[in-house]
Amino acid sequence: METLDLRSQAERSFTRRTFIKGVIAAGAVVSSSAYLFRTNGSSASAQAPGSVERLITLRVNGQERRVDVLKQETLATTLRYKLGLTGTKIGCDRGDCGACTVLVGGVPTYACSLLTHQVRGREVTTIEGLANGDQLHPVQQAVYDEGGFQCAFCAPGFIMSMVGFLQQNPSPTIDEMASGISGNICRCADYPKILKSAMRAAENMRTV
Amino acid sequence: MAIVHDVMPAYELFQPTDVESAITLLREHGDGARILGGGMDTWDWLKDRNKRITALVDLGGIPGLQDIKVTADGIEIGAMVPLSVVARNADVVNSYTVLARAAGRVASPQIRNQGTIGGNVNQDVRCWYYRSGWPCYRAGGNICYANTPQSLNREHAILDANRCVAVSPSDTAPALVALDAKMIVQTRRGVREINAADYFLGPATDIRRTTVLKHGEVLTSIRIPKTWSGAQFYFEKVADRKSWDFPLVNVASAIRMEGGSIADARIVVGAVAARPMRLRKVEDAIRGKAADEATAAVAGELAVRGAVPLRLNGYKVPLMRNLVKRAIRGQEA
Amino acid sequence: MAESNLIGQDIVSRDLVAKITGRAKYAEDYRAEGMLFTKLLLSPLPHARVVSIDLSAALAHPGVIAILTADEVPQDEFPFEPCLTNEPRYEGEPILAVAAVDEMTAADAIELIRIEFEPLPFAIDPLDSLRPGGPNATLMGNAYLGREVGEVKWEQSVFDAAGPDGMPMGPTEDEWEFGEGGVEAGFAKADVIVEEVIYSHSATHHPLESRTAMSYWQNGKLYIHCSVQSVAQSRRAIADRLGMPFEDVVFVSEFCGGGFGSKIRGSVTEIIPSLLSKKAGGRPVMMRVTRNEETAFGRARPGMQGWVKMGFRRDGRMTAMDLYLVQDTGSYARQGDTSTAADCASLIYTPETMRFRTVTVLTNTPPRAAQRGPGGAQGVPMLEPVVDRAARQLGMDRLEIRRVNGPTAATRFGRGNTQLTSCYAPEALSRGAEMFNWSERSARSGQRNGSKVTGVGLAFSTYYGGTSGWDGLLVIRPDGKLYIHQGVGNLGTHAVMDTARAAADVLGSDWEDCEVVWGSSSLHLPHSSTSSGSQTTHAHTRANHAVGMAMYGLLQELASLELGGSPSSYAVGNGRVYRIGSPGSGLTFAQAAQRAITRGGKFSGAVLPDDINEMTRNSATALAGQGLIAAAKDTYPHTARTYSFVATFAEVEVDVETGMHRVVEVTTVADCGTVVHPRSLAAQANAGVIQGMGFARSHKWSIDPTWGVHLTKRLEAAKPPTILDGPTQYHFAAVDLPDPQNPVGAKGIGEPPVGAGSGALLCAIEDALGGLYGSHTPMSPDKVLSIYENEGRVASGRLAIHV
Repeated sequence: METLDLRSQAERSFTRRTFIKGVIAAGAVVSSSAYLFRTNGSSASAQAPGSVERLITLRVNGQERRVDVLKQETLATTLRYKLGLTGTKIGCDRGDCGACTVLVGGVPTYACSLLTHQVRGREVTTIEGLANGDQLHPVQQAVYDEGGFQCAFCAPGFIMSMVGFLQQNPSPTIDEMASGISGNICRCADYPKILKSAMRAAENMRTV
Repeated sequence: MAIVHDVMPAYELFQPTDVESAITLLREHGDGARILGGGMDTWDWLKDRNKRITALVDLGGIPGLQDIKVTADGIEIGAMVPLSVVARNADVVNSYTVLARAAGRVASPQIRNQGTIGGNVNQDVRCWYYRSGWPCYRAGGNICYANTPQSLNREHAILDANRCVAVSPSDTAPALVALDAKMIVQTRRGVREINAADYFLGPATDIRRTTVLKHGEVLTSIRIPKTWSGAQFYFEKVADRKSWDFPLVNVASAIRMEGGSIADARIVVGAVAARPMRLRKVEDAIRGKAADEATAAVAGELAVRGAVPLRLNGYKVPLMRNLVKRAIRGQEA
Repeated sequence: MAESNLIGQDIVSRDLVAKITGRAKYAEDYRAEGMLFTKLLLSPLPHARVVSIDLSAALAHPGVIAILTADEVPQDEFPFEPCLTNEPRYEGEPILAVAAVDEMTAADAIELIRIEFEPLPFAIDPLDSLRPGGPNATLMGNAYLGREVGEVKWEQSVFDAAGPDGMPMGPTEDEWEFGEGGVEAGFAKADVIVEEVIYSHSATHHPLESRTAMSYWQNGKLYIHCSVQSVAQSRRAIADRLGMPFEDVVFVSEFCGGGFGSKIRGSVTEIIPSLLSKKAGGRPVMMRVTRNEETAFGRARPGMQGWVKMGFRRDGRMTAMDLYLVQDTGSYARQGDTSTAADCASLIYTPETMRFRTVTVLTNTPPRAAQRGPGGAQGVPMLEPVVDRAARQLGMDRLEIRRVNGPTAATRFGRGNTQLTSCYAPEALSRGAEMFNWSERSARSGQRNGSKVTGVGLAFSTYYGGTSGWDGLLVIRPDGKLYIHQGVGNLGTHAVMDTARAAADVLGSDWEDCEVVWGSSSLHLPHSSTSSGSQTTHAHTRANHAVGMAMYGLLQELASLELGGSPSSYAVGNGRVYRIGSPGSGLTFAQAAQRAITRGGKFSGAVLPDDINEMTRNSATALAGQGLIAAAKDTYPHTARTYSFVATFAEVEVDVETGMHRVVEVTTVADCGTVVHPRSLAAQANAGVIQGMGFARSHKWSIDPTWGVHLTKRLEAAKPPTILDGPTQYHFAAVDLPDPQNPVGAKGIGEPPVGAGSGALLCAIEDALGGLYGSHTPMSPDKVLSIYENEGRVASGRLAIHV
């Protein structure tokens, strides 16, 4: 019965006005960032144990790339805006869609939900790193042969998930395949064709 | 609540290589510091600018936290072990199947690759009012937005609500409670071992926290004793979609059968209260009984006794009842 | 003329390599020197007036370049939607935009802005707004009265009569009725009458690519990169919004990451970076639209609350349908979804009498737009479960009742006594029933295995299948290739590539010798239809066929002038124009292009047909002298309405202990005329069905009724369907019979599968629940369980909105 009491208490104590006041006050919050975006060098606590240097070396698609990375920068942002690898898409920026999927150490990972500083020293593979010149990766070839995808904004992420999953399970059943790539949304909902492409990709991978 | 979203504000990042340094950093930076596990809870708060931090302490570089070790009296899983590793680990799969199943049903494959077992149990509640940054009880205010006559509370609590009606969203937490796991917490003063059943907090105890973990303390590993190894396990999660979604209700159980009857059982339901609900009364009632439909029916009814549904979550009562029945049956139907 | 050899083939679209290697450029993939970033300040309140704005601290913030407010952007009379406003009408409506050197600076600057709002009353549920004394969404009123907005309030007695779960039905703004004696006479003839409260929810479109845009100004021209469904028409729309001639807009949208109706002509917000760039001296401005923002201003499907009553004779024939719908049109433009729902219903059931009443209510929720299958996608799933109920009462097979009432080629339907260009609906239903093995499967309905109950359902859906009267533009260049210019969009349907085949086929060209030109107005594109409403395939196979014929004529004429003989003594094929009977005599396309350049006049694009659109004329003129150029308007007859039809059959297994269901099998058959691209067609149909099923089961939005604030700002909360939410196998077939009013026989397919999918799923779930209430979306597990446990009761109430 406590619930009922709380309800009426809530109604009494809470008006639209308090809510609105809350909203408006929020607009006046003082910015906590000190515009350190473009400043160089280390910040005050840079010498503390575990502190992180901004200038780092990343291993992306087999190449070493020196890059200046903010502490709060996600891997998706670094790839897209600092390394020019725009094949990695940002669909939701919250790990809800999979468009930003890349491989980190071979494992499918949402690049929107990972700091670039977390992948130092680990091999990052993006969609741009799959094909060998004009020679498509076997998974890409399977997708091509099936005429895969519609708008294809999800395609790079899906393909990376397929590559990562097939490394772990080279001979999946169709249900396993679907589960393996279930961390990617296709809003066109072209799932039957994606799944068909993925099963063909499995075949291609086994015969490489 | 923030006026602008989707851009993380600046903070200092630390990547210590031992737990002691992590604890020191957390203490030095006080309330402005936050632990980074897999980040699957953290990014929301920061990207929405609903929580401001000055320092993020990444546990990813600490050796040992990502190990699974078979010990003399069970298994020890490092807090930073990704959920996908837990779900696939042969020892977990064979002896503590309920945990492997629960870990394998968390969110999506990528989230299971990135999210850690420690983060999955320590994650904050997912009440959409609270996570929108509204000044509710849990956020230090004096209102629950999810419990008014018009609130959208399909996902919220039917049991043990106290001002806040948010639920525990974890899939692995009920499994760990069912397995009688011990949470290993390192503090400035040393190491504490806490029973999983005591690790999670309801709002009556502390409305601002979901676990006993205090600022400056680090969950380093989870020990699962042999007690329930190889028992009859059941895990089921009901969610809107088969990928991504948090449970509407989940159930995890371990039952030990002897001579055709239930010798002992632990049954835990998630997403019905702010912490995983261990159903001690149900466990007591079924001990010594056959695992049949009659026992299941009794268990189901007993499980939901005292449930207080909100405007839109009345369905959780039959759902919880039915999932408990299935746990007794050990199968879906 | 050459035999058709491209229509009906599976040809991989050439842009696919770019799409799967990450090279395809979507709006956010463009970079420009000195590019700025913008962040928006969105209204935190559902309805308010901005009283004051203090920008001083934000402007002083290092790195901030410009701030754009509502006072500096076009503002016009309601329902014109401004890109920035001082009177936000929904939570999340953009108020101002900050351009800075990076996003973090822009975001930090927004937090330094002091802005004071005066809260205004707001309406979230149309029915609340219609109550006596209920809130109005705008200061002008709460409902559309024709094109104007006025106040509509119903008497309290209307609500009292309806009761808590009934539909209150006050006087409506729009009403029509047809059939002898009206519905009253129709119901008098009925042996069985069913009536039901029906409900379809609103939901954001959520294309995976948000409506990001990047703009800059150079030499007085605006360059804009954005994500739209249509290139030619969006260029025009953007120019109109900015009050400038379309010739001064260089419009680029090479790839569009989904639209589903939300990006038909682009959005008003796309002009924000254009205006900011102008203010910043032409510097490029990138506006990266986030998922949160996409939820706010990215458009949504209008929800509807309503009631239907249907009368049937013993033989299953529908004698009367009385349909009453309240439409939630959101905060701006009036949508036509309830009317289209009624039109679709009048076609799929061809009732002898029908009455339709509707009122369109404004609410302080995001603006609505057509969403794939607009009207039909709501109408079909609301009505089909009610038809099933009638069939059960009549003791009639559910396929049979649809056959009895469904249209045929001879049908005249609806209030306009409309005639169809073609209709193979009976064939679609029969083929589907056969493939699905309906008679055997439907016998399994209600079978219980433990807690799992089998349900079987089918739904029959329709939508307009195409427009006409658009232009085509072809160039044969001295390289011998045929360049097919397309002003439609590239949103994933492959229509931009596939409709080009009509021109290639007319000229007997190898596909390898053709290039499709698309995606940027700088490439000179013709006046093309929008890529929306299932019109593109029909419209642009016609336009490309017409321009192919024009090119054919030009080649004949050119050959006759160059080589003698009459034009009709020449034929075209395989990259040549040649004399009939002596194929050695003729010109290659490369030669023809050269001669056309030399001759000029109508061959080189210097002289153009009179009836083509200005945009086509400008494009052709810009191309003039580069080869043999043909431009033409589609003037083929179009004397009746073109509709496509889709039947979807589904078997589900509902777990009555959890409310979860598993889709066991889905079969879809379409009548969409001649098949142009089989694999792509199957993908469109199956994916439309999945979108529909997703809409019917999980994809939703939730807006708190007390605070008017969106709670489903993330995809995790909005729940579009995942790959695990359907079966792993889908079956599709097309009737593949030509529409006589399209030169290649094709009709559109985009829209009708959505309603068919959602309808089939709801019917199958209702079937598993033994006929308990099913005309309600989204049918999530909680609802299924509530309905099962409480014998048809929906916990939130049958009319509860935005839950």
